[in-house]
Amino acid sequence: MKICFYPGCSFATSAGYRESTEAVCRKLDIELSQIPDWNCCGATVMFGENKLRATALAARHFALVQTMGFEELVTGCNACYATLRKAARLLAADEELFRKTRGVLQNLGLELDRIPKIRHLLEVLVEAMPDSASDKYKTLAVGAYYGCQLTRPDEELDKGEHPQILEHFLSRIGFSVKEHSASTRCCGASHAVIYKNECQELSTRIIREIENKGAQVIATICPLCQFNLDQAQSQNNGPGLPVTYFTQLAGLALGLAPAELGLNKLLISADKVLTRP
Amino acid sequence: MSQNDINPFSAIAHLERINQCIQCGTCSGSCPLADLMDHAPRELFALLREGAYDEVLHSNTPWFCVSCYACMVRCPREIPVTDLMYAFKEVITQQGTAPKNHKMPDMYQAFSRSIKDTGKITESLVMARYGMKHPVDALKNIPLAVKMLMRGRLELKAQKVAAPKAIARLFALTEIPQDKP
Repeated sequence: MKICFYPGCSFATSAGYRESTEAVCRKLDIELSQIPDWNCCGATVMFGENKLRATALAARHFALVQTMGFEELVTGCNACYATLRKAARLLAADEELFRKTRGVLQNLGLELDRIPKIRHLLEVLVEAMPDSASDKYKTLAVGAYYGCQLTRPDEELDKGEHPQILEHFLSRIGFSVKEHSASTRCCGASHAVIYKNECQELSTRIIREIENKGAQVIATICPLCQFNLDQAQSQNNGPGLPVTYFTQLAGLALGLAPAELGLNKLLISADKVLTRP
Repeated sequence: MSQNDINPFSAIAHLERINQCIQCGTCSGSCPLADLMDHAPRELFALLREGAYDEVLHSNTPWFCVSCYACMVRCPREIPVTDLMYAFKEVITQQGTAPKNHKMPDMYQAFSRSIKDTGKITESLVMARYGMKHPVDALKNIPLAVKMLMRGRLELKAQKVAAPKAIARLFALTEIPQDKP
């Protein structure tokens, strides 16, 4: 299988998201066709500065996807996912915006005729991963953490506040899943980087809740969520729950070695929970 | 007519939706950063409906919107609260009335500038640019930056698109004309 992949700016330097995604996709025979010359999607910044510019920055990829002959665009970052979807939603609903955006892209030598379906990497792995064939991780207790921008605002993939897609996935591939109430609570996103003290309690609340429900590891699906929950514990006396990517856990389930999955990049090491008897 | 009689937000798509707000406060109660806002979303809508435009133009509320969309999925009147916060920021940025003591406008500017220059974001460089205006914040982040660097999680070289000129052109083509008085 071949997918059109948009990595986004945080992918390469994230805590092993790139390594684990590449390793898992190799193992599953999924070819990641990266959009050549992709740009920043504009994230949560550009729509607050200039709507047409924000739409055009995102839609430049829609035109590139079209050139590549794909109908779908896959990304692993919640902010990219939500931003690309917002642009797609606005373009479908607003003829004038579509016309103007198309004009801007034509000026760059690109044609925009159709809008691809935007999907998260999680959906791709949900479809491609086989059921677990081993008991190796059946006692490893995992807390799923979605963050905000996968199921909100459109709730198309799953329920906005109580999704289950990640829990079902983790349990199907062989992990013990601990239900908890913080799976879609906000980690503070980029505000947590700038207003660190003010946002501290947001990540603390999430980590404590996951710990209280008995999880030993957190599974994330977004680079900024991973960073916020990981760094919050590295600077304070948190419970020290390793904050992994779902792709790293998928890699372990497929029998790949932790080193191949970039697990050495976590600030809170996962060595102890992964090597316990 | 005084300037306050003109609604600077009138061009926002679907602004009329705020007239359907029943002032239940679900948005404010759902907001993770409402405590930091001068007027949580419910109140901001009330002010706007009353024509207190200056108050809204200078409010810190849109700048504390973290884009979690909790308000938007919970609003019983299906008002696109988060989308409106983005639109408010766009108007406020154009009018130059963002609160001077708020750090997010500087952060967003550093972020946007990075896209304009290189087409992509390199976190360390965005933080460095932001740090020029907020040196204390930048210094406080050094220990964390070192930890990230040691784990290969900090890129110090700018990530760039192959054709930065195309992105600069996109920026130029989407410039909002400023009508100076």
